[in-house]
Amino acid sequence: MTESNRNIIFEEQAKVLAHIHHKGEQCIMRLHAPKTARDAKPGQFVHIRVSQAKALRRPISIMLTNPEKGTIDLLYKMIGEGTHQLGERKVGEELAMLGPIGKPFDLSDVSKRYVLIGGGVGIPPMVFAADDLIARGGKPVVFAGSEVEFPFALKPSTFMLPGITGNTTLTISSLEERGIPCRLASNAGLYGCYEGHVPNLARDYLLGLDEKERENCVLLSCGPHPMLHAVARLGRELHIPAQLSLEEHMACAIGGCAGCVVKTLENGEEKYRRVCVDGPVFNADILPEFA
Amino acid sequence: MTVESTSPDISTSFAGLKLQTPLVLLSGCIGFGEEYTRIEGFSNKDVGAVILKGTTVEPRMGNAPHRVYETPSGMLNAIGLQNPGTRYVIDEILPKLPHHETQFWANANGSSLEDYAEVAAMYDDSPVTAIEINISCPNVKEGGVHFGNNPEMAAKVVAAMRPMTSKPLITKLSPNNADIAETARMVIEAGTDGLSVINTLVGMAVDIEKRAPIIGNTSGGLSGPAIKPVALWKIHQTRAISAKHNIPILGQGGLTTGNDAIEFAITGADALGLGTGLFYDPLICGKVCDDLRNYLTRHGMSAYHELVGSLQS
Ligand SMILES: Cc1cc2nc3c(=O)[nH]c(=O)nc-3n(C[C@H](O)[C@H](O)[C@H](O)COP(=O)(O)OP(=O)(O)OC[C@H]3O[C@@H](n4cnc5c(N)ncnc54)[C@H](O)[C@@H]3O)c2cc1C
Ligand SMILES: Cc1cc2nc3c(=O)[nH]c(=O)nc-3n(C[C@H](O)[C@H](O)[C@H](O)COP(=O)(O)O)c2cc1C
Ligand code: FES
Repeated sequence: MTESNRNIIFEEQAKVLAHIHHKGEQCIMRLHAPKTARDAKPGQFVHIRVSQAKALRRPISIMLTNPEKGTIDLLYKMIGEGTHQLGERKVGEELAMLGPIGKPFDLSDVSKRYVLIGGGVGIPPMVFAADDLIARGGKPVVFAGSEVEFPFALKPSTFMLPGITGNTTLTISSLEERGIPCRLASNAGLYGCYEGHVPNLARDYLLGLDEKERENCVLLSCGPHPMLHAVARLGRELHIPAQLSLEEHMACAIGGCAGCVVKTLENGEEKYRRVCVDGPVFNADILPEFA
Repeated sequence: MTVESTSPDISTSFAGLKLQTPLVLLSGCIGFGEEYTRIEGFSNKDVGAVILKGTTVEPRMGNAPHRVYETPSGMLNAIGLQNPGTRYVIDEILPKLPHHETQFWANANGSSLEDYAEVAAMYDDSPVTAIEINISCPNVKEGGVHFGNNPEMAAKVVAAMRPMTSKPLITKLSPNNADIAETARMVIEAGTDGLSVINTLVGMAVDIEKRAPIIGNTSGGLSGPAIKPVALWKIHQTRAISAKHNIPILGQGGLTTGNDAIEFAITGADALGLGTGLFYDPLICGKVCDDLRNYLTRHGMSAYHELVGSLQS
């Protein structure tokens, strides 16, 4: 898992096909970017120019691709100047975009049960991973957490999940329709959601599995740091490997500047690895920060 | 009557080297030359040279994150010269680079005169065609800008490296230095074959919620359009000395468009460095080459060198 990704990266003039603003400064953007849509793998991201001004681009995960239509979907939160500028882009505008970038999740063994834990704007790569797994006959389960209203249509789930009880009933409609079991968590008292942090919801589920099933699980996660810490702890507690998708400030996103590093410990040796091409996905066990 | 349309010649010569275009990709912005070629449409043939990330005798881990941060019209970086060591680069990386597509130059760093001399000796027996001396890195505790800010020390570094290699030496000058022309004069006397003007300016940024510096190293080097006026002025000052000695300047600092390139050339840049501009647009090189050719045609010039230093007073 430490080899960097060497796939071809495309510079596309991506036309905005749809741009929907949701509560909590969350936006979903659909872009026409056929080469990225064709090649992207779950966990990869695009490096997108947020306006015509000369400026650094912003890294945003790919949430979903439609290779036939040549489109990709992004979900982002407006937090600072760059993402606010992105929020101003109108349907029909074109944005320069590099993609697909980064080392994807290792989803190679579909006989595994992949347990996907996403928080906030860390949900997008989980959606993509679940979609990819189900299409290849895998058995993904998604747990998504948010402190603001989810930017998706929700509905009651028809899938029963072990360890999940009470009022934790809602799921993301599009996942349900694809046959992907999912439950939601929030501390904001959202209806139909587990009251608490999403890793605790995932823990209830994992403890509800019999030991053999649990041993067959792999955790995938993306989201805020405290959440990733909790997921890494969960993996250690239950002896389940975890793949974490990290964020760091980026300049080139090509591997050229070494600006985006995270410390790793591999075979006793400390190193700084580049989040853009050696990651963004890393096995939790090589990240001292999450030990 | 037929009109002969010949494209202007944008090749240039620099410290005895023939560059296929005046564009040079700058140290620290393109790793060890192996990354950007993955971008569809990127071509090494659009550039005269690629300067590899700075190396030291021993490997360096570099600074703690955050290492980069965007600022108005530019960015701060404090990478801390992360590199696998000069020997590794020569043995493992240089043999794999496409030397037929463009030239690769080294960027030499050290904490002592002995270090700089050793790096020069190592690269002497390697396929790099020139060695840039980084005496202006603001992001390391020892060496770096501490050498560059002192004209005598800067000259000593050049003098220590000069006997170790027959390859052209290009000394990278710091804008943080009070008298760049004096430093230029002294490193020319010490035997430099070219000058890189300018490296980054030192700056910082503060996270107001945490009340802490954003950059892990506290300070970082400021690059990008914000420093372009400084770069032009420093090139202008340096050229007053370097032109007398026939020493070429690799102009750099905030060049991000074709018009910027022309401005640098008029001010006196024999070659044109691109760093931060690549982050904004990784396919910028081909566009700048086109803009240069169009400008030369429009102004009745047949070659890039006619533009260099054509500033009217
Ligand atoms: C691989 C990857 C995937 C990402 N995917 C998503 C996503 O799907 N949806 C989403 O909403 N956000 C995502 N992010 C985070 C997103 O890139 C930042 O929110 C964004 O860069 C902030 O820019 P800003 O100008 O609005 O904020 P500012 O805080 O004003 O940004 C200032 C500088 O810091 C950088 N920066 C600040 N926060 C982050 C951060 N968390 N990560 C990286 N750089 C940061 C900015 O790029 C900019 O250079 C991802 C980050 C990475 C590295
Ligand atoms: C991320 C980054 C890393 C850099 N690393 C080096 C380096 O290793 N050696 C060096 O001499 N200059 C280094 N520089 C300075 C650049 O080579 C260049 O001189 C400077 O950025 C100004 O040009 P620009 O505005 O076009 O980027 C670095 C700059 C950046 C942005
Ligand atoms: S952002 Fe430049 S190496 Fe990752």
